[in-house]
Amino acid sequence: MISLTSPVKTKAHDWPAGLKLASLCAATMVLFFVEQATILAAIFAVVLIIYALPGRRFFKSGMKQLKLLWPFILMVAIWHIWTKEIELGASVILRLLSAVALANLVTMTTRLSDMIDVVRSLTRPLVRLGLKPNILELAIALVIRLTPVLVQKGTLLSEAWRARSQRKAGWRIILPFTVLALDDADQVAEALRARGGFDTIDTLENT
Amino acid sequence: MDCPDINQRPVIGSALSLTNVRYAVDDKDILSDVSIQTTSARVGVVGRNGSGKSTLARLIAGLISPTAGSIKINDHNLAKDRKAALAEIGILFQNPDHQIIFPTVEEEIFFGLRQMGHSKEMARSKTLDTLASFSKTHWAEAHISTLSQGQKHLVCLMSIIAMQPKAIILDEPFTGLDIPTKAQLNGYLARYNGSLIHISHDPNDLIDYDHVLWMEKGKIVRSGDAADVLGAYISKMNELGGLDDISDLTR
Amino acid sequence: MEKNVALIALFAALIAALGLIPKITLGFGVPITAQSLGVMLCGTVLGSKRGGLAVLLFLLLVAIGLPLLSGVRGGLGLFVSPSAGFLIGWPFAAFVTGWIVENGPRAPLTIVAGLASVIGCIAVMYAFGIVGLSVTLDKTLIDSTWLVTAFIPGDILKAAIAGMLTAALAKARPASVLSRNGQTKVV
Repeated sequence: MISLTSPVKTKAHDWPAGLKLASLCAATMVLFFVEQATILAAIFAVVLIIYALPGRRFFKSGMKQLKLLWPFILMVAIWHIWTKEIELGASVILRLLSAVALANLVTMTTRLSDMIDVVRSLTRPLVRLGLKPNILELAIALVIRLTPVLVQKGTLLSEAWRARSQRKAGWRIILPFTVLALDDADQVAEALRARGGFDTIDTLENT
Repeated sequence: MDCPDINQRPVIGSALSLTNVRYAVDDKDILSDVSIQTTSARVGVVGRNGSGKSTLARLIAGLISPTAGSIKINDHNLAKDRKAALAEIGILFQNPDHQIIFPTVEEEIFFGLRQMGHSKEMARSKTLDTLASFSKTHWAEAHISTLSQGQKHLVCLMSIIAMQPKAIILDEPFTGLDIPTKAQLNGYLARYNGSLIHISHDPNDLIDYDHVLWMEKGKIVRSGDAADVLGAYISKMNELGGLDDISDLTR
Repeated sequence: MEKNVALIALFAALIAALGLIPKITLGFGVPITAQSLGVMLCGTVLGSKRGGLAVLLFLLLVAIGLPLLSGVRGGLGLFVSPSAGFLIGWPFAAFVTGWIVENGPRAPLTIVAGLASVIGCIAVMYAFGIVGLSVTLDKTLIDSTWLVTAFIPGDILKAAIAGMLTAALAKARPASVLSRNGQTKVV
């Protein structure tokens, strides 16, 4: 499974992930307090320039993500043209684009492993409340490992349906799919136990 | 129970016609330059894992469309004409757990019959007929989860045979089953009087077949009668066993 | 313990996989995004705590940059977009849905699970979603509600399907429907 980190190397790839995330939070909060469309337009322009700096491939990739917002943009545009509040509409759209673009910028310039490190640091206080230290990383690794396996099984089931039908698979296919997931859970649990498992003392159980 | 052997020739073999078929995913060729013309009722396809045999099975069944070239079964384009597909061809996949959709045996057999367009009553009656012809009437309300692997394979077989397709594609069926179970399932299979297209990496499965194709890296490298093709295949496989291509990462 | 981690991870993977397998139709040819159905099932099958955690784990993976949301989407941008409210509401929706199935009446599972999905997933999810829309699109809550009404009938249908699937699962694999087995403790 490929993450959304951009293969185009930028200087930002090496900046500490925690710092990037904190700056993102700050920037997003600032954005939501700015009202004038002209300032928001200027901010968006700066964001676009930042996207353009690493080159064409990075820029195109970033814009592809922004294009996914088009239904909302269209909706807001139509709404505000109808209520004749064009400037307000423009503000909403520009703010939205900038916020999403900045957030995606962090995603594109941060490696998965660095993100996981941040998650580990942020969840350290929870260890005192009983969360096992490595369990989150294990869970993340399991999902990454198992999603393609389930996708393959789902695709096989989908094919088996289509082999006996004129139509594409219906919702009923989710039943055997869920059964497969449950069976896989049994096997994974067994594999975990066979490789050491977890301690018997676990305060999470007592909640 | 009387189990006729696989040499009992069926009445009609389906006309299988593949012309310059190419199948590519994301610019990578999985199959290229595949051409087959046969009306044999017992066709075998042998090859290593990853040689493209399963993709070929899906192309013939009409589940996927070729990137280039044409595929016709008895003059039908099964990828486009799904209605004809259900009458022409059935496909038995490798793992029943990835194939059985419904929780009980009768629901599973009923499904395909309904999808063919039969009324509920007709589908129900054909389901019971199929179970009876396999002497498995007592299986009707059985839950799939209570069946053994071999029994699940039989349910898959019954579900297809109920639809009475003219040909059945077998994509490495009966893998991992013990010797008697496999023999029993083959016995049930032999009672089917349409043609079979059997895909396998194991030449022993195809000894009694008329026309055998050997696939390697998406191409047909040899085609002809079983003794000839399988003999050459076995020597090559033994030769490869002495090498170390298991180390290669891009396969 | 290992069983819990495995179940939570697998159902998170299930939600992801439902966004990636070939589209599923609603019987009369209408394609549906099965992912939200996966969220409902987390609640109805795994129960409140495990179901909620499974969905939370899924969101965590989307947030750290994996394109697991249907349409091959992912990343932090989603959490400041207009859909953010809905996403944030998902774990709460699964939790409430699971809670209702665990503590609700001992009526037929199809109905209980279906209603639980309507109340839990639809009501809770839309509540969060509408707030999210209001904030990101600068609209009043009432206006935001109008924007989403078109999607509600489809989701109600999904909730009914979730009910039927849960009931079918309880028949096929009774031991696995944890929400009904009195196993509310994450043991």
